[in-house]
Amino acid sequence: MLDDETAFLGRDKCAVAGIGQTAFARDSGRSVLSLATEAALKALEDAGLTVDDVDGIVRADVDTVTPYSLAAALGVNNLSYWGDTGPGGVAPCMMMGLAIGAILSGQAKTVIAFRSLNGRSEARLGGSGQRVGAETVGGFGTYDEYYLPYGLLSAGQTFALMAQRHMLEYGTTAEQLGAVALACREHANLTPHAQMQSKPLTMDEYLSARMISTPLRLFDFCLESDGACAVVITTAERARDLRKPSVLISGVAGGAPPDRRAGMMFPVVTRQDMTDLGGRRAGETLWKRAGLGPSEIDIAQLYDCFTISVILQLEAYGFCAKGEGGPFAASGAIRRDGSLPINTGGGHLSEGYVHGMNHIVQAVRQLRGEADMQIAGAETCLVTGGPLPVGSSVVFRKAS
Amino acid sequence: MTIHPLFPNVTDRETHEFFEAAAEGRLVFRACNACDHALHPPTAHCPYCGAWDTAWRNAEGTGRLHAWTTVTHQIHPAFPAPYTLVVVELDDAPEVRLIGHMDGTPPLVADMPMEVWFQALPNGPTLPQWRPAA
Ligand SMILES: [Zn+2]
Repeated sequence: MLDDETAFLGRDKCAVAGIGQTAFARDSGRSVLSLATEAALKALEDAGLTVDDVDGIVRADVDTVTPYSLAAALGVNNLSYWGDTGPGGVAPCMMMGLAIGAILSGQAKTVIAFRSLNGRSEARLGGSGQRVGAETVGGFGTYDEYYLPYGLLSAGQTFALMAQRHMLEYGTTAEQLGAVALACREHANLTPHAQMQSKPLTMDEYLSARMISTPLRLFDFCLESDGACAVVITTAERARDLRKPSVLISGVAGGAPPDRRAGMMFPVVTRQDMTDLGGRRAGETLWKRAGLGPSEIDIAQLYDCFTISVILQLEAYGFCAKGEGGPFAASGAIRRDGSLPINTGGGHLSEGYVHGMNHIVQAVRQLRGEADMQIAGAETCLVTGGPLPVGSSVVFRKAS
Repeated sequence: MTIHPLFPNVTDRETHEFFEAAAEGRLVFRACNACDHALHPPTAHCPYCGAWDTAWRNAEGTGRLHAWTTVTHQIHPAFPAPYTLVVVELDDAPEVRLIGHMDGTPPLVADMPMEVWFQALPNGPTLPQWRPAA
């Protein structure tokens, strides 16, 4: 963490000038490169730019589309900067950091950040794929050999353990988790492109849905989606003259919890405080860099791979005290008429799962004032990524 | 069709001793010889004092149940649901928590005493497993 808040040179210097997305679906029937290409072209069109303006492309480490493939498919002739970040859903917020780093250091002028996946029809992240035959797992620094052979196989099972600890230590309830699922669903019901747009959800339906990994039920889990999102980042000065109202990147920060553990996702169960997220440390840095605090955030897109991850992040980013995320969510604060509307397009739980990138697109829509379920007067938006094994975060601000 | 379990990679340069000890019926964890801090997941370098002098130690094989989840939605043919994953904190080294697999939905209580046992996978390596202490 930087002690000197002025050490961050990026505050409000760069902006998102364009956004694009494909349809979100259970089976796109198309390649991930085709999806990424469509999202990127739409983002350029939205900004009033062309492929000839693009000189940088950044992506998530787990994306199978490379920057060079996307440049080839788009017809980008001047690619001079590219980068990967991650892991996984941590990437989109960190991509904003890569982009502003490249732009402010003169390595690029116009950067596309994208995520493309056939997360339902081809590469399911939940471990639901068919596997038969002997398999040797782990090793090579993953430490998965301590976990996978026992049947600890998925993020959902890991978050289930975290949810159980949160219930044991703070009395968090199923209804409080359900409040997160219902808020996201209500927001999706008002968002035409959301995968769950036409499907309302009641608390009774939430509670009576089948258990997946106790204490988490079906609707505690996010969707699995095919789709892509892309955004175009350039300097704030240039963005001001482009087609759409520009949305400034005020601050960006990643963070790891003080109880560091080697490996990927599973070793978090060994952290002495299993529900302390890297997002807490990310937030501490983020607020300094952005020059504001949680009380000045109008809306938030919180990484909702599971309902419990939203509750943990409400605490981690300082919207409520540790342990009070459940009551905060159940109070209605996170709904569209609450003090902190979250996941205003339905989020991963109900809009679509584009691994964090749809949260950035949604943030820009809201701050431009062009969202389907527009939150009146929204001028600042927190977007988070992760939340395991580390956290990532961005504050976006409407340009004045 | 035979369903095979997922075998742990027992040749990793950082962790192979854990599985070699298990095959001999011993539970071990890594610790720093300089500052005595337990290191898990095990690393050759101690981040607490900076020493490279780390080694495996025998554990008593007892612990406390820190967390558990009963998996009711099966996602792998080798792990029929329902089964319960337990997270056990070692009595010797609370910085170390290990996973166990229990069939079905056993009655469990937070912080209950647990004890290790060793499961030799058919034609495969041995895993330390956990059950409520007798
Ligand atoms: Zn040491």
